[in-house]
Amino acid sequence: MVSKRAAKLVAIGVIVAGTLVAESKREYHFSVGPRAGVSVMNPYGSISVKPSLNNTVVVNAFLHSDRVEVDNNQNGNRVDIQSHLLAGADADSGRVDYEVLVPADASITLHSSTGSLRAEKLHGDVNLEGAGAAVDVRDISDAHVHVKTMNGSVNLDNIQNGHVEVDSLSGDVTMRSVTGPLVQVVSTSGRINYFGDFGNSGEYRLTSHSGDIEATIPDWTSADVSARSVRGEVHDDIPLQPKNHTWFAIDKGRAFAGTMGRVAVSSTVVLRTFSGKIHLRKRSEKQ
Amino acid sequence: MNCVELRQSLAEVEDGGSAQQRAHLRACPACSALVRDLNLIVTTAGQLRAADDPSPRVWNSIEIALRQEGLIRPLLAARPPVPSFAERWGAARWLVPAAAMLLLALGIYVRREAPPNQLVRQASVATPAANPSDLNDDDLMQEVADNAPEMKTQYAENLRQVNESIRDAQGLVDEAPNDEDARRSLMDAYQQKSMLFEMAMDRSLQ
Repeated sequence: MVSKRAAKLVAIGVIVAGTLVAESKREYHFSVGPRAGVSVMNPYGSISVKPSLNNTVVVNAFLHSDRVEVDNNQNGNRVDIQSHLLAGADADSGRVDYEVLVPADASITLHSSTGSLRAEKLHGDVNLEGAGAAVDVRDISDAHVHVKTMNGSVNLDNIQNGHVEVDSLSGDVTMRSVTGPLVQVVSTSGRINYFGDFGNSGEYRLTSHSGDIEATIPDWTSADVSARSVRGEVHDDIPLQPKNHTWFAIDKGRAFAGTMGRVAVSSTVVLRTFSGKIHLRKRSEKQ
Repeated sequence: MNCVELRQSLAEVEDGGSAQQRAHLRACPACSALVRDLNLIVTTAGQLRAADDPSPRVWNSIEIALRQEGLIRPLLAARPPVPSFAERWGAARWLVPAAAMLLLALGIYVRREAPPNQLVRQASVATPAANPSDLNDDDLMQEVADNAPEMKTQYAENLRQVNESIRDAQGLVDEAPNDEDARRSLMDAYQQKSMLFEMAMDRSLQ
């Protein structure tokens, strides 16, 4: 009996040791100038990007097997990282998780099919794309933020003065304190949630074909709002000054349009859905 | 000259090309088909009216691409004039921009030119003319089955949804051809479908 238990423990130990051996870490360093470009292409696995303290790009790659390798290339002020799948690699054995440090002013491009994509505390352009990747972008300023996903969720938090464009087929999109000259979300069936004040004099366009759209805004918001659902319902908890003229018919329960706050600094807010619901909510103190 | 050399020298083919290129094109059906497709794109692009300005979103995307490639920054000397995109995609790199470009052209045409009774035929999702690269839904699913079989179900469901959204948007345009929202919805739906193709064919992730 004892010998059987010992044999089991040895077997488990061998398996664990084998797994540890198969996983390996690679580290790469690149010196770059101002406003460098960094791209990471990773079929399977996550990518996280944070600011570095100097003009160095540091790439930590955690490879899950020897069926994948990391190709790296620096060409002037541009760094390209690519996971290179070898014969027989699949979603497990081909997985690589990246932790990347870049100068805060660098522009980044991240692609992953399945792993999460995360970028934070940068003021260079951020371009993220992944079919099933969950996307999390926070604390970005004065930059373009462009996100494309198929069904991965998208979370944007504290994006200031951004040109923000999100295209998502079925992933839900949540934005908190996202402002800028252009904030646009297009979705086929994903739900869109916006928490914030729509900034000053920006254009905010949130569109989902069949997903619900909910915007939760504070009292001091200045915005020119129009909302329309072709087959769904619209709800407005905030009194708006009705507009004298709209180019589409205001069917009660299906559309509303009006202004709130100071006209001089008001943003244009367009909420559109075909069959989803639209809800413009007033932010409570707790939110 | 082999296929790789021919594709690397494609920019010179439009003027008739060298004797070597012409000889290869005569002997190679795949390369000659590729050149035909490229010529079609060039011809179609020339038919776009100057007055049909793309939306700010298009300009924005172009600006992002230019900024990412460093073409509108002062550090031009340190950047390669041709990014690694071409190496990554090979000849297939033409297919997605070709599809996107023709979808855009189609959308502009639908929006500006077509009388209401022609909209269904010209912008219908089932119309092969919407996709001059001969990419259709079956091709998309085959691409996914070959390269990302674990995501086949997800792609199929999203394809179904986006096709449904195109049909709904098309119905709105038919009902109210002057409805700006309806036209924009149709354009958005086509762009979403184009994005789905782009993701399925992303060679850099395979």
